[in-house]
Amino acid sequence: MEFIWRNLPYLLLGAVETLKITCLAVSLGCVFGLIVGLGRLSRNRVIRFLSTCYVDFLRGTPLLVQIFIVYFGLPQLLEQLQSFLVESWGLPRLFTSTHIPAFAAAIIATSLNSGAYVAEIFRAGIQSIPKGQMEAARSLGMTYRQAMRYVILPQAVRNIIPPLGNEFIAMLKDTSLLSVIGIVELTRRGQIIIASTFRPFEIWLTVAFIYLILTLSISRLVDYWEKRLRVRT
Amino acid sequence: MSTSMIEVRGLYKNFGKLEVLRGIDCQVAAGEVVVIIGPSGSGKSTFLRCLNLLEEPTAGSIIIDGVELNNPSTDINLIRQKVGMVFQSFNLFPHKTALENIVLAPMVVKKMSRQDAQAKAFELLRKVGLEEKAHTYPDQLSGGQQQRVAIARALAMEPKVMLFDEPTSALDPEMVGEVLAVMRDLACEGMTMVVVTHEMRFAREVADRVIFMDEGRIVEEGPPGKIFREPENPRTRAFLSKFL
Repeated sequence: MEFIWRNLPYLLLGAVETLKITCLAVSLGCVFGLIVGLGRLSRNRVIRFLSTCYVDFLRGTPLLVQIFIVYFGLPQLLEQLQSFLVESWGLPRLFTSTHIPAFAAAIIATSLNSGAYVAEIFRAGIQSIPKGQMEAARSLGMTYRQAMRYVILPQAVRNIIPPLGNEFIAMLKDTSLLSVIGIVELTRRGQIIIASTFRPFEIWLTVAFIYLILTLSISRLVDYWEKRLRVRT
Repeated sequence: MSTSMIEVRGLYKNFGKLEVLRGIDCQVAAGEVVVIIGPSGSGKSTFLRCLNLLEEPTAGSIIIDGVELNNPSTDINLIRQKVGMVFQSFNLFPHKTALENIVLAPMVVKKMSRQDAQAKAFELLRKVGLEEKAHTYPDQLSGGQQQRVAIARALAMEPKVMLFDEPTSALDPEMVGEVLAVMRDLACEGMTMVVVTHEMRFAREVADRVIFMDEGRIVEEGPPGKIFREPENPRTRAFLSKFL
């Protein structure tokens, strides 16, 4: 017990980092998700197709692979692109190194991934609003954008909050994958302690409990928020 | 006719292979009240929905207040401001109070100030007899009250034409009267109205002209006295006999 106590502050700092990354990932994911979710409902076939590709690719491949593509793959691509531009167009080299910092790669990968899930959440939320609402808004002379903003989205939010909470919780757990590219979040800090103390059981159990406390608190918070939206005054 | 508010020529509408409208020609004069009757599936609602392009016609032309609807340079949102619509299922915005339902479009579309929009909204609520319900949410209102708010909401855009798509069909019988009364007042004030309904008494008493539609065509039209008393077409006769 004493051993766990001693290492707890170090782990909790990791939990803060985990929360920070999750918040960033899901917030940016909401931005991507709204754009792609509306794209999935677009009347334009090209936009619909591209949005569907985005969602299918990011939901259909492991997040770990996506992290590797961004962290290891993207720098190589950028390097080759730069060499190509330098050689065939005579442009000066812009970057001495195309290495992407781990934190940036982490945020890019997780937010793109979250965007795909959030897009589906938004799409379902919007589609759950009866067609008559859009028709009524349009019949009053509102544009599609105005109808979305003032009529559809405010109603859809109520249906969107619970699954968005689930997405936040799922992402919180998935950020543990970022330990493989050296992000020092909760899981990585657990590994570091174990490397010097050789006591995996206590540490992994503690790490698990910290995750559990985080996810349970968040789901409570979401429940509370959802109930408050239901009872409107 | 120089005062023609709505002019429809050769209107066709297909849903996939299904032909819903098969050549509608029709004119509505300014201030005229036209009631469309006919069996379900005859295309009445589709016809009405074409008039503000909630449905896009397959062929034909629609001119409202001198503006051609299918012209690509026509701003459809501008047309819709001139053409109010009342739906069978009311379609009030459930997250907004009666008052907010009414002021939303004038504020968003016409950029009216909140103060002006609210003054106008209260005036309209008074007109439909619901001033005291201004701050009530739709789910706290009866069907009849909701529909009256919906009419006020459409009127807030100061339309030149009002379309009614079976406005009383979703109502309990005791609430039909209050909605029809509001529509009757509107007709007396000279609003141009096209009404799809099964309320034959309303048609008889308020309409200037009754149109009978069947299988996507206008079968017969004329003043209500004539249509109801001596319909020429056997199909009209068969349809009306079910109501008497």
